[in-house]
Amino acid sequence: MIGHIETGVGFWNAIVWCVSFIVVALAVYAIRALGRTHYRKGTEQVKPYLSGTTEYDRVRVPGENVYWGFAQALKNYYNKITPVHAGRLNDYITWLVLMLAVFLVIITLLSGGLG
Amino acid sequence: MIKKLAKALNPAIWVFHVNTGSCNGCDIEIIAALTPRYDVERFGIRLVGTPRHADVLLVTGPVTKQMEPKLKRIYAQTPDPKVVLVIGNCGATGGVFYESYNLVGPVDQIVPVDVYVPGCPPRPEAIIDGVVKAWLKLEKLSEESEKK
Repeated sequence: MIGHIETGVGFWNAIVWCVSFIVVALAVYAIRALGRTHYRKGTEQVKPYLSGTTEYDRVRVPGENVYWGFAQALKNYYNKITPVHAGRLNDYITWLVLMLAVFLVIITLLSGGLG
Repeated sequence: MIKKLAKALNPAIWVFHVNTGSCNGCDIEIIAALTPRYDVERFGIRLVGTPRHADVLLVTGPVTKQMEPKLKRIYAQTPDPKVVLVIGNCGATGGVFYESYNLVGPVDQIVPVDVYVPGCPPRPEAIIDGVVKAWLKLEKLSEESEKK
């Protein structure tokens, strides 16, 4: 039979596949036809619903507000540590290499490697 | 043919609820209409979470200054054909909040209203009756838009 393959655990048939595809496509089209058609394009009717507000008047409460007191108490620490997080990969690699060198020296000293 | 079949399967009416400054009395009665005692969902009437899916806008409360642009936007976001149903005295006339300094309502001064359900608050039976009237109007509007 043309387009028929036995796989050992079942079969694949081109005609069955085509018929199934048509049935599913018709079902998809029927479900799509249930959608609203009487809307005006290019108006508010195509914009997302944000409880009646526009995107601009959304009240934004960032997650960091939750730990405001914590950040305030450690203000001095954060003031020093924040500029270090510059986002530059070169800086981060430099920090990594430096810290690796420091730890290597410490480990060497502790294990008596120089003795 | 498929479109006709889809239309035959589409008898439900989807309702979106907007509170424009209500005391929540009417809102509780709307919820009561959805509870098992009245169970409007068995008639295909169901609340939806966005006006973009709605056929009917259910408005409760007189319209406060802050809610005016939001009500206008929600009305604009509801696809046509649509029907506006005002639940309660406040939305219809201002009710006990009439002539309050922070009101711009009642609702019909902001958006066109099709059906009023008076009461403070109206009983669920009255709300269901109002929705049925809105449904009849919606069917007329749908037929008119199809003719166009």
